Amino acid sequence: MTVVQDTTLATETPVIAEPEAQDLQAAAARAMIVFDNVLKVYEPNVVALEEASFVIEKGEFVFLVGPSGSGKSTMVRLLLKELEPTSGRIVVGGRDLARLRRSKVPQLRRNIGCVFQDFKLLPNRTTGENVAYALKVQGEGANSIRHKVPEVLGLVGLTHKVNSYPDELSGGEQQRVSIARAFVNHPPLLVCDEPTGNLDPDTSVGIMQLLYRINRSGTTVVMATHDREMVDKMRRRVIALEDGRIARDERRGGYASE
Amino acid sequence: MLAEAVRSIGANISTTVAATMTVLIGMFLLGLFIALGTYVLSWSDHVKSELVVKVFFDRDVKPAQVEAVRVQLDSNNQVRKFELVTAEQGLEKIRKQRPELFGSDGLPFNPLGPAYTITPIKAEYTETIANSLKPLPTGVHRVTYGKKTAEKILSVAKVIESIFLIAVIVLLAASTILIANTIRLSIFARRREIEVMKLVGATNWFVRGPFMLEGLICGLGGSLLAVILLFVGKEAALPSILPRLDSGPDVNAMGFWAIALILLTFGLLLGAAGSGLTLRRFLRV
Repeated sequence: MTVVQDTTLATETPVIAEPEAQDLQAAAARAMIVFDNVLKVYEPNVVALEEASFVIEKGEFVFLVGPSGSGKSTMVRLLLKELEPTSGRIVVGGRDLARLRRSKVPQLRRNIGCVFQDFKLLPNRTTGENVAYALKVQGEGANSIRHKVPEVLGLVGLTHKVNSYPDELSGGEQQRVSIARAFVNHPPLLVCDEPTGNLDPDTSVGIMQLLYRINRSGTTVVMATHDREMVDKMRRRVIALEDGRIARDERRGGYASE
Repeated sequence: MLAEAVRSIGANISTTVAATMTVLIGMFLLGLFIALGTYVLSWSDHVKSELVVKVFFDRDVKPAQVEAVRVQLDSNNQVRKFELVTAEQGLEKIRKQRPELFGSDGLPFNPLGPAYTITPIKAEYTETIANSLKPLPTGVHRVTYGKKTAEKILSVAKVIESIFLIAVIVLLAASTILIANTIRLSIFARRREIEVMKLVGATNWFVRGPFMLEGLICGLGGSLLAVILLFVGKEAALPSILPRLDSGPDVNAMGFWAIALILLTFGLLLGAAGSGLTLRRFLRV
């Protein structure tokens, strides 16, 4: 991963609000995600996110919480460069997204595993093929695909479903396939948008345990969620959004402020 | 990539069939029309080629006067060729066409002079060639070019040519729109799939490749079927139709294989370019 070689970053714009971050350039390089005063306005004039500034270090597990429409999904889509911020700076893994050329976006996304509420599996491909697709898009050879797919399916506990199609799987199983697809490259960052939103509480616990294990292996996990119980149980960093503003950022927070 | 395209054809068999059928219909009509159109054009060319200018000399014309006209025609670049019909040949021709004019013992003398039959490069030049011989050179009795007939034939041919041209353009546009629309529907049905591909980091070409190949296969398949249908139609129908059309041997439609080649190329391009262009909208994720 490349370091941001931009001196103006250090001298002109205060990237990070945290007082202990003295050497900003080094901080940006060390951090997984930097949001610096990000504003996103949807046409014509709906403010989805404003004055959003925070730093997520490598290896952190972070919950993004807040009611519907508070800007969680906007944040996820900004991370994937699916959307462009109206103003402000976003750095992911040392890459300044504003300077990332469109042709390099696939490269960025291969380094970010994505998990969505609606799974987003390819309906006419089996479990194995869905996971393999993420490897195929980056030109991985057939040999390494044959090796890596069973390995990651073992991790999510779906080895026996390798030839099932998504509509033959339960919601929890589909979500585990999508986590397997997101993680098969061992990306440094995993972004989840309401991964348990469509699942019952028991299944959700399984998914959370899986994400926890992935996080323990060193992958940064950012998870937007509504799941109050889960957030309160895990006691991880919580960034709470309200009406597009960051209302709270706690090291070991709960879903609601105490 | 081929494997991807083939699997996707299998998985979306109904849209594939729809797209192939659309190509088939469009290409079949186009092929039929090219065949008919080129036949009619060739027929009108044939009729036009029968338009000639005739220069009739006096009976007592001097060889030098004929020679002067020959020199003048030689230097006229609208003239393709000209031919001297001697008085004897002219008389023989008339005797064949209208034997009742001649008594049992023939005519006492030949009333005709020699004549030139001039074939112009283009049928439209007959009038200017005739006018270039005005005032009549000495020794020339009359210059004719069938003014009325020529004008009629030329204007009919012109109408036929423009109808053919317009119809081909309309047909091309209609089949392009029809095929593009079918492709768009099939891609629209799969736009979520494309979105997912983009989100896991597929480049535009990685997504586009199989789709374009699929379009290409549909286009090729459709036009191939159209060619087969046209071939069957040609073999079955032409032998019974051709003898009824009283046309000369130089009236021909464009060769079947040339038409087949046009249809295949067009179907192929339309399929690939159609899906490639349509995809652009859905790739912006």
